[in-house]
Amino acid sequence: MALKGLDIFKLSPKKNCKECGSPTCMAFCMKVAQGAVSIDKCPYFSDDAKAMLNEQTAPPMKTIAFGEHKLGGETVLYRHEKTLVNKNLFAVSVSTAMSAEEVDRKLSEMQKVDYERIGERMYVESVFVSNTQSDPAVYAALAQKAAATGRDVILECWDAECAKAAIAAVGKTVILDGATPDTWEAMNAIAKDTGAVLGVWAENLSDLYDTVKKLEAAGNKNLVLDVTGKTAKETLANAVLVRRTALKDGDRSFGYPSIVNLTKLASGDDRLQTAYATMFTEKYGSIIVMESMTYAQALPLYGLRQNIFTDPQKPMKVESKIYPLNGADENSPCALTVDFALTYFLVSGELERSNQPVNLIITDASGMSVLTAWAAGKFSSSTVKKTFQDLDIENKIKNRTLIIPGKVAVMKGEISEKLPGWNVVVGPTEAVQLPKYMKDKEYEAAAKAAAAEAAAKAAANPVEEVKELSFDELLATKVPEIKVVDMGVSYKGHNPDSQTFVTIGERIHCIAPVIRKAMDERDPEPILKRAAEQIKAGATYLDVNIGPAEKDGPERMMWAVKLLQENFNNVPLALDTANKKAIEAGIKVYNRTNGKPIVNSADAGSRISNIDLAAANDAICIALCSADGIAKDNEERMKHCHNMLERGMSLGMEATDLWFDPLFLVVKGMQDKQMEVLEAIKLFSNEGLKSTGGLSNNSNGAPKAVRPIMDSALVAMAMMQGLTSAIVNPNDLRLMETIKSCDIFKNHVLYSDSYLDL
Amino acid sequence: MAFTPKTAPFSGKINAVTLGTGDKATVIGGQNVMPFYTFDAPIENAPKIGVEISDAANEWDAPALREFYAGCTTMADYAKKAETMPGADFLCLHFESADPNGANRSVADCVADAKAVAEATSMPIVVMGCKNIEKDGELFSKIAEALQGKNILVLSARSEDYKTVGASVALAYGQKVGAETADDINLAKQLNIMLKGLSINPENIVMNIGTAAVGYGFEYVASTLDRVRLAALQQSDADLQMPIMAPVSTDTWTVKESSATEEDEPAWGSREERAIEMEVSTAAANLVGGADAVIMRHPAAVATVKKFISELM
Repeated sequence: MALKGLDIFKLSPKKNCKECGSPTCMAFCMKVAQGAVSIDKCPYFSDDAKAMLNEQTAPPMKTIAFGEHKLGGETVLYRHEKTLVNKNLFAVSVSTAMSAEEVDRKLSEMQKVDYERIGERMYVESVFVSNTQSDPAVYAALAQKAAATGRDVILECWDAECAKAAIAAVGKTVILDGATPDTWEAMNAIAKDTGAVLGVWAENLSDLYDTVKKLEAAGNKNLVLDVTGKTAKETLANAVLVRRTALKDGDRSFGYPSIVNLTKLASGDDRLQTAYATMFTEKYGSIIVMESMTYAQALPLYGLRQNIFTDPQKPMKVESKIYPLNGADENSPCALTVDFALTYFLVSGELERSNQPVNLIITDASGMSVLTAWAAGKFSSSTVKKTFQDLDIENKIKNRTLIIPGKVAVMKGEISEKLPGWNVVVGPTEAVQLPKYMKDKEYEAAAKAAAAEAAAKAAANPVEEVKELSFDELLATKVPEIKVVDMGVSYKGHNPDSQTFVTIGERIHCIAPVIRKAMDERDPEPILKRAAEQIKAGATYLDVNIGPAEKDGPERMMWAVKLLQENFNNVPLALDTANKKAIEAGIKVYNRTNGKPIVNSADAGSRISNIDLAAANDAICIALCSADGIAKDNEERMKHCHNMLERGMSLGMEATDLWFDPLFLVVKGMQDKQMEVLEAIKLFSNEGLKSTGGLSNNSNGAPKAVRPIMDSALVAMAMMQGLTSAIVNPNDLRLMETIKSCDIFKNHVLYSDSYLDL
Repeated sequence: MAFTPKTAPFSGKINAVTLGTGDKATVIGGQNVMPFYTFDAPIENAPKIGVEISDAANEWDAPALREFYAGCTTMADYAKKAETMPGADFLCLHFESADPNGANRSVADCVADAKAVAEATSMPIVVMGCKNIEKDGELFSKIAEALQGKNILVLSARSEDYKTVGASVALAYGQKVGAETADDINLAKQLNIMLKGLSINPENIVMNIGTAAVGYGFEYVASTLDRVRLAALQQSDADLQMPIMAPVSTDTWTVKESSATEEDEPAWGSREERAIEMEVSTAAANLVGGADAVIMRHPAAVATVKKFISELM
């Protein structure tokens, strides 16, 4: 049963007494929802509350299992509201009115469509077997033939004896599309005996509704509704009204998956069936029955279905592999990009347009776009190297030219080092420039230059012994001495026990070219300048992002930490990189006078071990409530939150040293999710947990003049909900003044006329 | 307990926009319900189909499509033939050859074609450019001028050129203007606001909110359509109540499903049939999502989608 933790929590005693063994009521409820503990563990849950729970938390639409697929279980009418969960299935129809030859032909034609598209097998999942006569043996034989294809079987049959014989012949769970206002009792008995899902049909919605009510009263809720009407128009109305009644009006008697039978609406017209199948894929068909499924029909329909049922919060990914384009072979050059499906389609499309043979290598970047993946450490020289090893590219391809996306030109050096022998060339920054780039063979000269460069380097530095140095050794040999410069600003100090809002200044970030360059060259000036500005503007902490820093992360971070702390009165810092060793090294030289270091950041997925790192080093850890992509709702956010909370506490961390980040979402694109993020902050705060996040993400893409206003409004709302910290640009005066004002209202700071100047 | 469906017409309404003049003039929009939800309230104007005629139509190689246009050489020839296509409601002149990075046809030649079409036919005319901002700006202005009084629609003004296109097409020559954005509801609203800011009457604006062939990121198109329509109807957002026109054929004929030869993909069967089905499905997906008009190419696909629309009305 899909009981939701948050729904259970609403009815819980909210005492946080820990008698159940869980740290908080919320944690307990999440476990109950997952089935990990019994609700009886809580001595304070009233019987009334338990009964109400069962009543209230039943989902509006049932999920019905059919073979290896699931039908229904939807919670929203439109995919942007959350996500659609179970894709519709397709069926091809055969009937006892057809000749044996025709049946064989249809079944064999149907099986020809079977291919893969972006990791999904595309085929007709089921056969719809219609009965038009009264001999059980005849129908059973047809059903058996259909089952022999290995596909699931739907039996359309109103004759009880025929139905029994066919179910026995199929030998696995079927859908028995046979209940009508006249036949429901007999069919219900068969469905109960055989475990079949019962399909219900009636002349109109009123009769359908009454029949469902009768079946429910007889104890059967394993139903699908055949909403096929006399016309396409009527069928659309039925499909929409049934779904809307269940999801919008909350009437669960229409909360079942649907069948639409196009053979009754467009018999003999393949193209019209395609149009109708398109419509019912978008609008509420769970099983779509067609006379045939040719490739010409399947290619658009399965493509559309894959699009519509993509989770809007999770990017579509393509498989990491070599895609030879335009007849490429082992002697053709290679081009590299990430596995985000749209990136793949764009890049492969433009490369195909060039008509030049090229091996497109797709590397696993968790479905992120090039720059996002790079910034998150998911697209780095190490991940590229791993892809080259996993795919055995070294042996599969002889050509040694590798074109990388222009947007990550900065990776050229690191990739060259990780892939010795390859000539790494920086390609264009936009996909549209690819056809010209490939046709003009611009990469050839660049590859030659890269080869020459590598040869020169090899001649100059004969192979250097690589030895892992300890942090102390690195500190002594690789970290330049820090000079203290008077920047005219001093850090005012921070009391870690204070309740005032903690601002973490975000301006020292490698995504800014000037900072990237300064980090590369260990040039203190640009970094100190940005630090001074932020401290002057009142930042509590400074974030130090040194980029993915795969090669020299530890010495980079040690240098940056010492540079900032020695220059600015031990300003507390958030250490921000995907390189764990670098964080460890940074903490090694960190001074705790003004607060613990912050590890930025862990998540509930591949980066959860950063919590271990924080625990081992007595640091604060920013914990992103996400795993693979943005959490789809607060249920998921809180699940991630508690996973990370339990991990941290089991390692001896204080709960308040985990700062939970709900992930602020951009208004342009996710306007309808803003209140949910704010609600998540309230949930953290109710449990006494601290929170933070990149608040200004909300206004990304908005005009410069508007951003401070949006950010200020959001921070005020978020502080009302209990947000305790945010990663911000402290140079935004309006935002900083809003925060100070909110701290006054929250009674964290005593008011004086000059409070803004403090 | 009998079931009585709750019907839900909205208070918000899509603007009704007339294209063309005379007997063949056609109206798109005007409804206050989601697409084809006739059970909520009657829909007065059925969605319309435009037939794409390209100045590169001589390169079209699908056999039945060539057969349909057999003997046509000039754009006016094609247009006259297209007018006879069962299911056609308007013509869409696509000047793709004007692209300076391609054939770079002159503006004067394109204008002459447009004039010839206008003289030879009586259906409403929609004009599509070559996607080059500078060239389109000039082309749109000159065609709008040459076809004054014909009440044509120009696709499209974008955020980069809305000022020049909007001012010339809609204000100077009194034509309808399209507002084109790419799957971005916030920008779609903003562009309409900016066009209205030029004092263009909202009834003279049609939207193209972004297109894709099914299978190629159509989820973005579908969700943008849903959100635009819900904003227009549910929230009565006057800045999104313009009817929507979706150019379908320009996307569907170039994707692999339609363009791969039968030698390359022997299992897939007839290439022309694939192209037709791709066009049918993408058009239907747009109409069910909220498009009030689609632009299509193949007579068989047009016939099917026409039947689809009339069955649902």
